[in-house]
Formats: sequence, structure tokens, C-alpha cells
Amino acid sequence: MAGELWVAVIVAAAGTLLMRLLPLVWMQRRLAREDGQGGAAAMPRWLGVLGPVMIAAMLGASLVPAAGTLNAWVATIVGGAVTLLVWWRTKSLGWPVVWGVVAFGVVRFLAVTVN
Amino acid sequence: MNDQAISAGGRAWVKGVRDAIPLLGGYIPVAISFGLIANQSGFSSWEAIIISLVIYAGASQFLFVGMVASGAPLWLVVVMTLLINARHLVYAPNLAPWLTGNRWWFWLMHGLTDQVFALAHTRLPALPSSERLGWFTGAMLLAWFSWVGGTALGAFAGQELTGRWPLLNDVMPFALPALFVVLLAPRFTSWLWAAALGCAIVVALLFAANGLPNVAIPVAALLGAAVFFVMQSNTRAEV
Repeated sequence: MAGELWVAVIVAAAGTLLMRLLPLVWMQRRLAREDGQGGAAAMPRWLGVLGPVMIAAMLGASLVPAAGTLNAWVATIVGGAVTLLVWWRTKSLGWPVVWGVVAFGVVRFLAVTVN
Repeated sequence: MNDQAISAGGRAWVKGVRDAIPLLGGYIPVAISFGLIANQSGFSSWEAIIISLVIYAGASQFLFVGMVASGAPLWLVVVMTLLINARHLVYAPNLAPWLTGNRWWFWLMHGLTDQVFALAHTRLPALPSSERLGWFTGAMLLAWFSWVGGTALGAFAGQELTGRWPLLNDVMPFALPALFVVLLAPRFTSWLWAAALGCAIVVALLFAANGLPNVAIPVAALLGAAVFFVMQSNTRAEV
């Protein structure tokens, strides 16, 4: 890799780190100023809303299957439903993910086997 | 620090690693693809690994190697990489109320990816403050190492791996949407939140399905937030 390409990697890496780090410094100063309220109460309302909707947007973007076939979409719906069902029963983090992936995999495997 | 605090920190670290295990299903296959594509774009295996180690931001890394391979000017490559990562600006402030005063937090922000943020946003408020640093360190390091390890696998043996287990490469990434479902489900606490979150999910899905995954997250999140505040102000006006 040429020298200028290394510089590009370093600038991109430093910029990404600063975008993750500097807003924390800003928010911690703000929280320190509003010492009496503290915690989540001192957070701007828009920021408190933006967090969960960012996670929702990540979910939406990640739902699109790489294969893009009808079967892949059916597998996504089945996998999502099973994940939700197991979460409803267990209220845990790991098992719903495991069973969701298994359900998704079974539908994908059946499609490959049948075809 | 007394023995009890050290022991609590150690347990929290293990808990963080355990909670982050579902991330591996999404990280490793995508990292293998990155290693493979970086190789095909003319980067050596070690260069691909270093990019994953220091930039550590999935979508922007693909863009970085793709633009370099196509001969784009380097300043544009850097600007586009940073633009894609701009959504990270809102992550740390959202976690700030639950972070302790320890200086290590600043360095740990290197690992604040989309998925680690989603996990931490749900788990940190539920943990006692003495366990948060340990939990985040464990979760963040597992995610980071899996991304770097996956890149190494892809760079050194990607073609053989994807050729031998094509279905596994297709199935494992479903762990990410499954994890997001679990993290998001408890937040559907009212019609207001259901509308805002539902809007963000549908808009992001439509953008990503139409080949615009990079703009999907910021646009969908802004629309979801807009739905929240419009509905909230309408409800107040009716009252």
C-alpha cells in the first residue's frame, strides 16, 4: 500500500474515532453542568428519541436478505416471528436469537433441498 | 479497588462477552466478505486486517476499498468514509447518562459500532454502575476481535470458506436482525413508540431493499423521530 493510502486509512480511522468520542465529551460536560438532574433526565428529548429509532432503522435495513429471493424473504419472516415468539416466552437475549437463526436456516435449507 | 469490586468487574466482563455472542453471527460472515473483497480489490491480507483493526466500521470499509480500487481521489474516499460513519455521532451521547467517570470509556468508544450501541443502549441501564465498564469492555472486545478475525479468515481463506459452506454464509447473518428484534421488542410500550419505531423499520427496509443501505439508517431514523414528535404534539393539542 502506497504512503498516501496509509495516510488516508489513518485519517479515516481517526475521524471515525473522533465521531464516536467527541459527542461523549460534549454530553458528559452537559450532564456535569446539569448536576442536579443527572442521568437520562438531563439528556435532550430529541436525543432520547433518536437512540431507539436508530436501532429500529438498523433492524429495518438488516431485514433485507442478501439472497433477495422469495424463499429468503419467507425465511426472514419466519425467523423474525420465531425470534419474537421465543422472546415473548423467555424475555431473554440469547435464546430468541438462536431459535430465530435456526428457523431462518431451516426454511433456507428446505428451499435448497427441494430445488 | 477492593477484591469485591474486582470480582464484580470480572463477572461483568464475562457477562458482556456472553451478551455479545449473538453479534458474531452477523459480524464474522460480513467480515469474511470484507477480507475477500479487499483482497480482490488489490489490498494484501495484512492491509485488510489493519483496515478492520483501525477503522472498524463495516459499510464504510467496503466503500473505502471499493473507491480506492476504482481509482477515486483519496480525499474523496476519506470524505465519503466519514460521511457514512456520521450516524455514529448520536450513539455516545445516548449512552452518556449510564457511563461512569472512568477515562477508559474514551478509548472504548473505538468499539461503538451500530450493533454494540444497540446492545449497550438496552443493557447498560439495567446494570449497576460498578459493572458497566467491565460489561462494555467484554462486549466491545469480543465484537472487535470477531470483526478483525473474520477479516483475517476472509483475506487468507475466504474463497475456500464461502465455496465449502455457502448456506452457512447465508444463514448466520440473520443473527443481526434477530438480535435487533430482541433489543427493540421491549420498546413497543405505547402507540406513540410503536408508530415511530414501525415507521423507522419500514422506511429503512424500503431504502435497503432498493439498493440504498447506506442512507437507510439516518433517513429512516430521522423520519421515525419526526413521526414521534408530530404525534406527540398532536396528542398534546387534543388534550
